Amino acid sequence: MQKPITLGELNTLVRDTLACAMPDEYWVQAELSEVRTAANGHCYVEFVQKNPHTNALVAKARGNIWRNVWQLLEPAFERETGQRFVAGLKVLVLVSVQFHELYGYSLTVLDIDPTYTMGDLARRRKEILQQLDDEGVLTLNKELELPALVQRIAVISSAGAAGYGDFCNQLQANREGFAFYPHLFPAVMQGEQVEPSIIAALDAIAAQRDCWDVVVIIRGGGATSDLTGFDTYPLAANCAQFPLPIITGIGHERDDTVLDLVAHTRVKTPTAAAEFIIGLAQETAEALGDLSARLSQALAARMTVETRRLEELAGKLPTLFSFARLREEQKIAAAFLRLTSGVERITQRGQQRLYTFQQQFTLHIRTCLLREEHRLQLLAQRAHSADPERLLARGYSITLHHGHVVKDPSNLAVGDEVETRVEKGKIRSIVKNTSPNSSQKGECLAGCSPSEKS
Amino acid sequence: MTKKEELTYEKAMAQLEEIVQMVENNQLDIDQIGEKLKEAKTLIEYCKDRLYKTDEEVKKILKS
Repeated sequence: MQKPITLGELNTLVRDTLACAMPDEYWVQAELSEVRTAANGHCYVEFVQKNPHTNALVAKARGNIWRNVWQLLEPAFERETGQRFVAGLKVLVLVSVQFHELYGYSLTVLDIDPTYTMGDLARRRKEILQQLDDEGVLTLNKELELPALVQRIAVISSAGAAGYGDFCNQLQANREGFAFYPHLFPAVMQGEQVEPSIIAALDAIAAQRDCWDVVVIIRGGGATSDLTGFDTYPLAANCAQFPLPIITGIGHERDDTVLDLVAHTRVKTPTAAAEFIIGLAQETAEALGDLSARLSQALAARMTVETRRLEELAGKLPTLFSFARLREEQKIAAAFLRLTSGVERITQRGQQRLYTFQQQFTLHIRTCLLREEHRLQLLAQRAHSADPERLLARGYSITLHHGHVVKDPSNLAVGDEVETRVEKGKIRSIVKNTSPNSSQKGECLAGCSPSEKS
Repeated sequence: MTKKEELTYEKAMAQLEEIVQMVENNQLDIDQIGEKLKEAKTLIEYCKDRLYKTDEEVKKILKS
């Protein structure tokens, strides 16, 4: 059996063996799980490696960055990455392997490659963005429309930070005198608590979302700090789907954080955020001014048109009136003409009828006269032919007895004296004999013939 | 007209825009213009108040 050795002897053996076997320096990829700067200026860290799927620890090692190295590396790292050297970062470090009898296994950091960390952060951001995109929420907040009037501003910031003060001062000092109502929802803006505290603040705002027009997330202070908290998936998902537009002013000079990328609007500083909001109010005021101006212009134009119309109408009125008068006069004249001609026509027709009547009347009278004359002539003729003198002249005679015409001989007695009238005188005779004749005509002729004169 | 508590800045602007367009397009007769003008003036006043006057009520509500 080997002679026992002390622990110190063993550890010295391990140290010497290690130093002998691994004399080189190695570039090692690892994740920082702890970073602590001690009062003496040395920086103590812990490196880990995780299973990418289960996140379980696979390897772990302590690391030391001695003060003289750390003084050079820390500012260089922050300058390059815009990011503090903190837990959670993936780093590429140049180390030498040590073993100390008392403190055990450790890595001494000789150099840090910030490019690796930047690449890793960028990749991580890209992955988060890709995931949000796959879920269809990446641009949701950007698609929200800013209200016409952005006044009620929910501010997420750390309570005592200069950023919030700058923001409020800038807002209240706006030259136009716009009214704003900023209100602080305090949150941790640095370190590991960033994600949960900002999400809590967002939840508080969402609970009274009708009270707010917009959310502003601002962070003042130095250029370098731990911003990895703004690059987490839960925070990005929360912001992307937040119902109010989010404006970020996280003050990160270098790359945009995921939060910046999903926010509605991204500006660099709290002051810029205030300027942006004042700008919105200015646009709103200009829109109102434009409307007022358009209204005045349109009114003026309308009034000009109306005035011109009125003047035109007024100008036309006398002409229109005289036209109307002329038309009425013409109508009256036409009516008068019709009346006159109508009366004339009636008079003419009357005269015509009177004339015709006169003609007919004259004709009628004349016809009557002619007829009467003719009748008179006939009567005269008849009277003339009935004249006894004419009969006497033709040889007839009239016998009278005591002045009476004798037509029947039986009225005479024998011995009666009768007087016979002929054309040229009278004959006195005595009746000797009377006899009625069988033929009245023959007897009369015999009795009164001029040859039987006495 | 719309009751004050229901009126929002956006609604006021939309109404104002509508009135301006109606005047611009000669859709109003002169009698209506007077009334609409009064309405527009009220709306402009409302918008200006909202823009420039700090409403203590709003302040109080938001602080609580």
